[in-house]
Amino acid sequence: MSKKYILLTLSLIFIISCSSDDSSSSQTNNSVWEQKTNMLSNWVDNFIIPYHDTLLNNLNNLESAAEGFATDMSLNNLELLRNQWLTAYKSWQYVEMFNIGPAEQSFYYQKMNVYPANISKITELIGSGDFTNLNNSPFYSAQGFPALDYLLFGLASDDQSLLSLFSSNDKYFNYMNEVIERMISNTNYVINGWTSYKQDFVNSVENTATSSANKITNDFIFYYEKGFRSNKFGIPIGVFSGGNIFPEKVEGYYNRNVSRTLALEALTAIEEFFTGKGGYSLKGFIDNFATGDNSNLSNQIVDQFNTVRSTVNQLDSSFVTQINEDLSSMNATYDIIQTGTVLLKTDMLSVLQIATDYVDADGD
Amino acid sequence: MILKIDVYLKKSTESSKLAVFRICFGLMMLYSMIRFWVKGWIETVYIEPKFHFKYYGFEWVQSLGSYTYLLFILCILSAVLITIGLWYRLSILLFFLSFTYVELIEKTTYLNHYYFISILSFLLVFLPANKCFSMDAFFKKKQYKEIPQWSVDAIKFLMVIVYFYAGLTKINSDWLLKALPLKIWLPSKYDIPLIGETLLQQDWVHYAMSWGGMLYDLIIPFLLFYKNTRLFGFAMVVFFHVFTAVLFPIGMFPYIMIVSALIFFEGETHNKIITLLKKIIQPLRSLVEHSSIENINKFNYKRSKWIIWTLGIFFAIQILVPFRYVLYPSELFWAEEGYRFSWRVMLVEKIGYTNFKVVNKTSGHSFYVRNGHFLTDLQIKQMSFQPDMILEYAHYLGNHFKSQGHKNIGIYAESYVSLNGRSNQEFIDPKIDLLLQKESFKHKHWIKPFKDEIKGF
Repeated sequence: MSKKYILLTLSLIFIISCSSDDSSSSQTNNSVWEQKTNMLSNWVDNFIIPYHDTLLNNLNNLESAAEGFATDMSLNNLELLRNQWLTAYKSWQYVEMFNIGPAEQSFYYQKMNVYPANISKITELIGSGDFTNLNNSPFYSAQGFPALDYLLFGLASDDQSLLSLFSSNDKYFNYMNEVIERMISNTNYVINGWTSYKQDFVNSVENTATSSANKITNDFIFYYEKGFRSNKFGIPIGVFSGGNIFPEKVEGYYNRNVSRTLALEALTAIEEFFTGKGGYSLKGFIDNFATGDNSNLSNQIVDQFNTVRSTVNQLDSSFVTQINEDLSSMNATYDIIQTGTVLLKTDMLSVLQIATDYVDADGD
Repeated sequence: MILKIDVYLKKSTESSKLAVFRICFGLMMLYSMIRFWVKGWIETVYIEPKFHFKYYGFEWVQSLGSYTYLLFILCILSAVLITIGLWYRLSILLFFLSFTYVELIEKTTYLNHYYFISILSFLLVFLPANKCFSMDAFFKKKQYKEIPQWSVDAIKFLMVIVYFYAGLTKINSDWLLKALPLKIWLPSKYDIPLIGETLLQQDWVHYAMSWGGMLYDLIIPFLLFYKNTRLFGFAMVVFFHVFTAVLFPIGMFPYIMIVSALIFFEGETHNKIITLLKKIIQPLRSLVEHSSIENINKFNYKRSKWIIWTLGIFFAIQILVPFRYVLYPSELFWAEEGYRFSWRVMLVEKIGYTNFKVVNKTSGHSFYVRNGHFLTDLQIKQMSFQPDMILEYAHYLGNHFKSQGHKNIGIYAESYVSLNGRSNQEFIDPKIDLLLQKESFKHKHWIKPFKDEIKGF
């Protein structure tokens, strides 16, 4: 009788001690809570804060270049201004996906990069000189990077005409300056907001619909599907408009030549966020929690991003040219990006188990 | 044999059993409806959407816009009447009709739990639940000590069916041999105190809970049925359902099952409950003269034959319907042909991503639909992995675009689904024009076959 009990107890101890080695999540020796906290800290310390700081830096340089241009409206200074615009625009690609906290609350993204720019509203405001309207949502598309794109490249048909336009009347420069200053103050608002928001953000680790990790993951997926896939590719090639193409809706349309560059920067931002740049992020988390069929999922996703990159590299540096000359390559690129969307929205979501709270559930 | 049935039908039992059940049911329903209202779900589920998914055969059910609130008020009022047992037959019928109508408005909120309430309230229409401790008994000045045994057994039988099928459906290779989907769900509950970071992360716990859940469902009817094991069984009921309530966002279902399990207890227990309830409302009762109520021993339906036959058909349907999936060649968890109305609760994890391409067949030009323009997030989520909804939505889109002037269009679905953590697979044949397909009970050949095998029920 007692032998049986000893045997039973020993087997139980054996089972319990064995099982703690089996569990996949103990690979990092951290609890899930700790893992998520590390992920959130990584995101804040190595992505959100530094990228916003870099952007602000570049915007400040942009402002200096603008001041230089104001004193001497030469072609040289225009080029400096344009270069600085591109530098800032590239660093913006790393910021756009973080539509959370102070950014979400202040409609930061809408004020910085809604394209195509609304030319009629820009023209209206240049004429009136009354910039308070820029605070209101109908005028979001009259400011930010797309507005600068228009002012620096699209205001006139060639550089000389553009320069004479600026020299002829203060109102053009005034508007441009206003746009740049707003971009700086909007960015400052977000950066300041994060100094206090950071703690709440990192603390919100529970698996609820509104927790930080879930919101950022949703933001990431949304950015891939909308900001990257739809805005840069889908809408201009007419994916949502049956036979009608809109090359004028390409990012950086007036510059003509930066659409591919910006798309590739955005892709880098996406890849780096996913892999974590040496720190813990979605890739590491998936590796720890994916089982069975999906155990190789994170590599599949990285491979897909690489395939997107090599396909985009083969496109013309101007998507406008590409669309007008060979739409099929753009369509093929779109399809390859879409394959990535499928991976993120089915397999990845299945592994991450992000909670939603629409109604009571009965399964999935 | 017929003699035995006859003898059984003449048996009687304490009327307090159904009285307690009626009161509990009424209160739970009252709480459920108010909870649903307070959470704002009437707005998000029944009023906001531009389009509602309908059940096959019930396309005529209209959404009522803001009048949905009136329907809920009707439901709530009938729940109150049921609880106090006033105009019982009318109020339970009203509850059944209003509750079921609400459920028929939108298919994406189908829950086995709501289905259970519908059929239970239907059943209750035929049962003498107001013969004791009810306002009806008070006003009629007649109270019955006993009611037919079969009227109480009917509820027990329904409970047995629910549990039995819930257990049966867990006998499949994903659930038992791979501990899916618990293996996916449990580790994500890391924020539950004590067990979240420890037990729920362990492989063996996933298997233990899968097997345990299956065994619980199959065994619990027996434990509740026999007097010796009943108390233990009820303790298990409470433990199991509270545990699932903590783990999963399944609403009122666990509490309704706990309370419904009381029906298995002896008449003595129910009499005690009634006595307790009488004490609680003593201040109210003392306002009312109750000594003039006539106490009659046994209640019998005048036309019980009709009721028995109706219930017989009702239960035959309940027994057969969960098996209709065998009539289809597709994998049940994948194509979901025959999946609903069969007590497959929290059984499968499925995530889908479905886009619709509208093609002008004359020009060849096409565009993709932005689902967010037509459906709510909940609807998109549910539609993306349920073929009947995909078809219904495709037809809705077809009508919409035709009314906008598009001519000669076809609608094609590009759909990918991940089932129980498998890599996503193509779900719908993207070359089939869904506008040419009609909803029916026949197999939908445009669902792509499942590239794996799940054995079992």
